[in-house]
Amino acid sequence: MKLLNWFRRDRLEHGLDRELQYHLDRRISDLMEEGLPESEARRRARLEIGGLEQVREEVRDVWLTRWLRDFLYDLRFSARSFLRSPSFTAATVLSLGIGIGATTAIYSLVDQVILHALPVRDPERLVLIDWKGEPVATGFGSWNLMSYPICRDLQRHDQVFDGVLCRASTTVTLSTDGAPEPTAAEIVSGTYFNVLGVGAVLGRVLGPNDDQPPAESAAVVLAYDFWRTRLAGDPTIVGRKVLVNQFPMTVVGVAAPTFRGIDVGEVPALWMPASMSAHALPGFTNLLDRRTRWMQVLGRLKQDVTPAQAQAALQPWFKAMLVEDMGLPGFPRITAQRRQLFLASRLELTAAPQGHSSLRRRLSQPLWVLFAATAVLLGLACLNVAGLFVARGSARDREIRTRLALGASRGRIGRQLLADSVLVALAGGLCGVALAPLAMGALIAFLPRDTAATALHSNVDVRLLAFAFLVAVAAGLLSGLAPALQAGRRSLASSLRERTGSGGGVRLRKVIVAAQIALSLVLVIGAVLFARTLTGLLAKGPGFDTTSLISFGIEPRRSGYAPLAASRLVFRIHDQVRAAPTTSASAVARYPLLTGGSWNNQMTIQTDRRIATDREANLNAVTPGFFSTLGTRIVAGRDFDERDTHAGAGQAGPRTAIVNEAFVSRYFAGRNPLGALICVGSGPDAQPNIEVVGVVATFSYRGLREESEQAFFPMLDGGEGVDVGGAFYVKVRGTPEEAAQSIRSIVHDADPALPITYFRTVNEQVSRSLNTERILATLSGGFGALALLLSLVGLSGVMSFVVSQRTREIGIRIALGARGSSAVWLVLRDAVAMIAAGTAVALPCVWAFGRLVESQLFGVTPTDPATIAATTLVLTAVALGAALVPAYGASTVNPVDALRAE
Amino acid sequence: MPPSRFPIPQGTLDMLVLQILSVGPAHGYAVAQRLEQISRAVVQVNQGSLYPALHRLEQKGWLRAEWKASETGRDAKIYSLTRAGRRQLAVEKDSWARLAGAVRLIFNEGSQP
Repeated sequence: MKLLNWFRRDRLEHGLDRELQYHLDRRISDLMEEGLPESEARRRARLEIGGLEQVREEVRDVWLTRWLRDFLYDLRFSARSFLRSPSFTAATVLSLGIGIGATTAIYSLVDQVILHALPVRDPERLVLIDWKGEPVATGFGSWNLMSYPICRDLQRHDQVFDGVLCRASTTVTLSTDGAPEPTAAEIVSGTYFNVLGVGAVLGRVLGPNDDQPPAESAAVVLAYDFWRTRLAGDPTIVGRKVLVNQFPMTVVGVAAPTFRGIDVGEVPALWMPASMSAHALPGFTNLLDRRTRWMQVLGRLKQDVTPAQAQAALQPWFKAMLVEDMGLPGFPRITAQRRQLFLASRLELTAAPQGHSSLRRRLSQPLWVLFAATAVLLGLACLNVAGLFVARGSARDREIRTRLALGASRGRIGRQLLADSVLVALAGGLCGVALAPLAMGALIAFLPRDTAATALHSNVDVRLLAFAFLVAVAAGLLSGLAPALQAGRRSLASSLRERTGSGGGVRLRKVIVAAQIALSLVLVIGAVLFARTLTGLLAKGPGFDTTSLISFGIEPRRSGYAPLAASRLVFRIHDQVRAAPTTSASAVARYPLLTGGSWNNQMTIQTDRRIATDREANLNAVTPGFFSTLGTRIVAGRDFDERDTHAGAGQAGPRTAIVNEAFVSRYFAGRNPLGALICVGSGPDAQPNIEVVGVVATFSYRGLREESEQAFFPMLDGGEGVDVGGAFYVKVRGTPEEAAQSIRSIVHDADPALPITYFRTVNEQVSRSLNTERILATLSGGFGALALLLSLVGLSGVMSFVVSQRTREIGIRIALGARGSSAVWLVLRDAVAMIAAGTAVALPCVWAFGRLVESQLFGVTPTDPATIAATTLVLTAVALGAALVPAYGASTVNPVDALRAE
Repeated sequence: MPPSRFPIPQGTLDMLVLQILSVGPAHGYAVAQRLEQISRAVVQVNQGSLYPALHRLEQKGWLRAEWKASETGRDAKIYSLTRAGRRQLAVEKDSWARLAGAVRLIFNEGSQP
């Protein structure tokens, strides 16, 4: 509060003057009454009070502590001198602003995606419970999958847990009032809200009672944001029915406003109990199956129990359960080796205050890489400001020398320079905070819209402000450190002896420029590596022709269709789309391509001997013409046709398969794959009864980076197994927009209540699947360009200064007959030394940073010699170019002018 | 200067000022005169240190100051004790009394073999 006194110091001073004057006047008149002459009275009065100025100073100390007062005066002095040189000020503030803004923006995403704890009660006591080893189970979903019964088992372990929940993300077709729409949902155990400690803002949340199949109507809880935005915050929502996959369920409540599920990347609109999973996931009947894993299990540890303790305490039960499980009916027959692996499994508990997120898993490494890059950029900006300060320090030498000569202490001068950097840092911080939301908005725009819109925001909150402030102060101190030290070190006598500037300043600036060149080389090499990764992937493509190819999806099972009817619908729509005049070819796959996911399983292959694949193959079911629609080649055998798609009488599943070239080269070793028998699964009871009828060229299924073994089965018309729906691939004539219209009307005519889950060109899908690569390439490219710019500005600044300092010397040399070229070399030598030093420092750093980014690269190693050599060469050339301009100026020095200059 | 006058102990000036003002509001010069009377007898107070003390006490909220016409008709800065100041004076008096009592006890102990 004393700080306020600073702002009313004029009034305080005036009051004090009046007060002291009153005292003196009264004392003088009293003394004169005692008989002293006026002059003597005046003298006595002043003597008694003991020095007016000293009293004033002591009172000022009461108003505001001395060091703070001095520092504020320093700040005021700095502010004034900054305002006198606006271009210098703009350069420093903008440098720091860009650095701080970029760092803050990336940190915001790091915080939101990686660091931020869930807004639940005591998040630090939450643990993720995961199965390490061989689960002998089939599964679907993202990562850390467990079965529902295991969650129920764990709930009994109340000696270590206060509660255990399980959950799975899914998409349902939800109808509230209007048209049914695909909506993100979370399937949860009844313990979910209780364990997290999240309440309801309206009605109730789910509870343990909801774990039982309900007598009347199933309960769902709505998310606050969904309730507010889509239902206009309707207060009468509780008790109303909504249709989830065309099945009526009752809204029992709305969850607390801050709570948005436990996955930062998939914000659900509603929660429903696992007891209703058959309706949430149409066709799913394995809720109570111990060998179907599809949920994440999280526990709340008891107070003062560590994850390691809990893990140890659970092991005996877990081991016993493994043995017990093996004896259960329905446990698959497995090889002795696999049984061993199964029995060696263990539970692993890891702290999960941030919940579970597949977005985090995907983005955390790229985000840390970008965070490191922004830190380097910020360091560079600091160096730039330090360089500018040193330069200004040289210019201010006369002022500083005068102050030293007048008796100012070195500490006092250093403090003044510190005030400079604190002021610049705070201004830069403000500038950065203003820039950060723009940068964040741009960053979030890179992510797929559905993820970004729901999950991430570009608000500046208190945490972020605190971060920006800390960064700004650190940056200010860093950039002010070198000049302050330099001012402290300079001896008075030597600086008074010097004619112009100071040698130390130049040396320091050269070191700074060398460091800048090193940092920007690191950033630019990183940017080139990421750019080569992106262009490499784009050039490679998915392995099929994406021109005029569009894709859309329907999920009839989520709109209440029975399996057979769903299959019929898919085929009917397929036939109509194929016949439409706006399309030239159409095909359906059970699972979409390039989304990161796939249907995986190990396979058994029967030729003259029987082998099981050593890893999972990517599987799909497709209609005839799928490969020709994508424009991929059948290299041997034939495509599927009508014979394959009709559900056979004798055999329920498919009778034929097509495998890709990667599959052939890994498992057939030169033998003919046509006619071989295969099947899904690798257990002893797997029966290879599906004939390989064709081999297709390899193309990307999960993502552009992968060229895995794939096997395709025919999609059966009216058969079992069409449990997920259809991903349509359509080659269009004319523009995609025209085709879109006719396709939408075909789907609408087939069933007006059936939503299209997505609709986009395959090119769009390709670019979506390269999101991470694009973010890395674009941002690191931007950072690299900024870095380069900053260091070139620094370099040419130093060179101009060097030239101006040595004008006299150069003039003399030229007067004595030196040629212009030798003058250029004289100056350029310095630049070459700086560039060489910077490069020498940078290359080991590149080698070290390389490990960090290795997994993000494709088609290029982090220490790719060509990339590094070319980048270094280009950077050197550009830097020399920047140095050449002032150096050329040196060669044109007119000796007469130069000698006359001083 | 008579040898019986000794410098005012550290920290007691604030207490004295509070005590003087507890009798009634006064301006700086009046407080100084009152201090002078005390100091003539016992202790020596530097008038210069009075004003920092007044401002310190005002800063702490123990005194309130107001510009008002003084007894001579001229405007003066009149200080008066706030409620917090009164409480502070009581606290200081009490701790002073306890200190003095303790010191006396120790001296008595020493003088009785």
